Amino acid sequence: MTEPIDTSIYSAVTAAIQTEAQRILAAGLVTAIVGYAASRRNGSTQPIIVTDAAAAEKLIFTPASVNNLALYLTKAKKEIPKKGKIGIVVKGCDLKAIVGLMGEAQLKRNDLYLIGVPCAGVLASTVQPSTALTADTIASKCTECDARLPSDCDYVPNVQLPTQPQLAGKYAVEIARLEALTPAERWAYWKEQFAKCIKCYACRQVCPFCFCEQCLCDRNKPQMVDTTPRPAGNTAWHIVRAMHLAGRCAGCAECERVCPMDIPLNLLNRKMAKELKELYDYEAGFEVNDKGPLTTYTDKDDQSFIK
Amino acid sequence: MQKYISQQNLTTLLDTLIKQGTRVVAPHMNAGVPLYEPIQSAADMATGQLPRRSAKEAFFPVCEDIMSYEKEGQRISLKDIDPARFPETVLVGVRPCDAAAIPVLDEVFSWDYKDEFFLERRKKTTIIGLACTAADDACFCTAVGLFPGETKGSDLFLTPLEDGGYACESYSDKGETLINGNKELFAEPTKTKALSLAEPQTEKIDLKKVKSWLDEHFEDPLWDGIATRCVGCGACAFVCPACHCFDIVDEGTEKAGKRRKSWDACGFWKFTHHASGHNPRDLQPKRYRNRIMHKFKYYDDKFGQTLCTGCGRCVRVCPVGIDIASIVEEISKK
Repeated sequence: MTEPIDTSIYSAVTAAIQTEAQRILAAGLVTAIVGYAASRRNGSTQPIIVTDAAAAEKLIFTPASVNNLALYLTKAKKEIPKKGKIGIVVKGCDLKAIVGLMGEAQLKRNDLYLIGVPCAGVLASTVQPSTALTADTIASKCTECDARLPSDCDYVPNVQLPTQPQLAGKYAVEIARLEALTPAERWAYWKEQFAKCIKCYACRQVCPFCFCEQCLCDRNKPQMVDTTPRPAGNTAWHIVRAMHLAGRCAGCAECERVCPMDIPLNLLNRKMAKELKELYDYEAGFEVNDKGPLTTYTDKDDQSFIK
Repeated sequence: MQKYISQQNLTTLLDTLIKQGTRVVAPHMNAGVPLYEPIQSAADMATGQLPRRSAKEAFFPVCEDIMSYEKEGQRISLKDIDPARFPETVLVGVRPCDAAAIPVLDEVFSWDYKDEFFLERRKKTTIIGLACTAADDACFCTAVGLFPGETKGSDLFLTPLEDGGYACESYSDKGETLINGNKELFAEPTKTKALSLAEPQTEKIDLKKVKSWLDEHFEDPLWDGIATRCVGCGACAFVCPACHCFDIVDEGTEKAGKRRKSWDACGFWKFTHHASGHNPRDLQPKRYRNRIMHKFKYYDDKFGQTLCTGCGRCVRVCPVGIDIASIVEEISKK
């Protein structure tokens, strides 16, 4: 039996976002607000950039508000004018990415007006956007969420988060399964997954932390990674990405959500996060750190790899 | 020619073809994802879901070698790929939106340059279309002038019947040849009722009107409005049955390697990045505009066809929910 998840607060959250958005736009506190709006398909949403108080009524929050909108704040999105203060609707997982970007000196807290969403969870990418949220249809990342209520925001709708059913952590289960395999079996698993990659780079393009002006994989002098969607280049690409995100990834799982070939990319990031926790007691959170676990050295660092 | 083929006989037909050495490509589950891929047995065919990528890859693979080189001392040898070695193929279980895109692609691959990789595979492939009985709300074939029983592009077209068999009609010599070569498996048409076709919930869009608006609005605030959210990945183009841009790169070492052709997408910033460093499509709205222009204007200007069959794949995969059907509909109302 599929256990339903109570998302009844989302209508109050929507109303509160609209009122606040209208207020801060009308008062000139922000120049634009990045949020979610309804789109054509039943139940679906899409990112929207609202600059006019009259259009604030377009903003909504539903179980289909899946995107991490932090993406639109980075220098990777040159199309969004970064003039003045920008408002943004954030779930806890999205806020962790913003915090990470502040730590990397990509964003300044004072340039942002954070509208935090008390979040009961969003839908998995594998279901239609009109599907009701249940223990089966919820996004994997939400089964392991420790950030339903974002902290230190400029505004958070005053609603009571409903009690959540106990959900089995989907990544923890899958990582345990993979860790129990032999290296050869694990390699076979990832070979099969990476073989599906078509190099559309959706994973990179939605990642808030992939803000490099020019990705290593787009350079051809020298060509570090083969560009064609073949085993060598695909494997190199996904490993390069996992390593580059280690100690940075905030766990929004956007890479996995958008992969048109259903490659479980966030498993790589969760595995790295697990290692970071074990080795450096580091995990992505709501506190801005300008020194990441892999950009600092202390004599307490694990040195067991030196043999 | 109208015929009937039972489910059992369709299985026999495909298994016989496979045994005879014909490559049979069909919707098939690969690591949880439905794709058009060569199958080893008719039992591997899985027509329940729309394949994640279109059928174009039967002619225009995600990546293929087009040449190889070897260097020994001062001697360099180049080796062509011989398209004559491409196998005879039957592409079966093709959705109407996918089959209809193939004749559209014929135009560009046989235009000023004859792409022998595409054309040779095309020549050797018989396409068996399958009427569509399940649409979701991303589907919009009816908006671009097609429908779930569309036979364009199919050599043979199957319509599922209530008894599990299919009404079968041929639309080309290739289709007739396939029937005539396997006469014992086909029966005369029956009176059994056909399953009801899918009903995409979209109204027909006046594509002429769309084109005439596009003719005049290369510069328009619409582009900034709809396309600032585009993140610049290639997902839409790669799952599209009609997008056909490709890149060519050499991969290998100094001693030996391959020249390869692989899918490319106009959404990538690098797509129009010149060697000089200049990029005429420097921002995402200009790239997204090209996507719409190419599909609904340029291709029509050049070949008199629309480069979209309404399969809805781009709508489903877009990371930021960009919906080409609603954009084209909005343009048609301007």
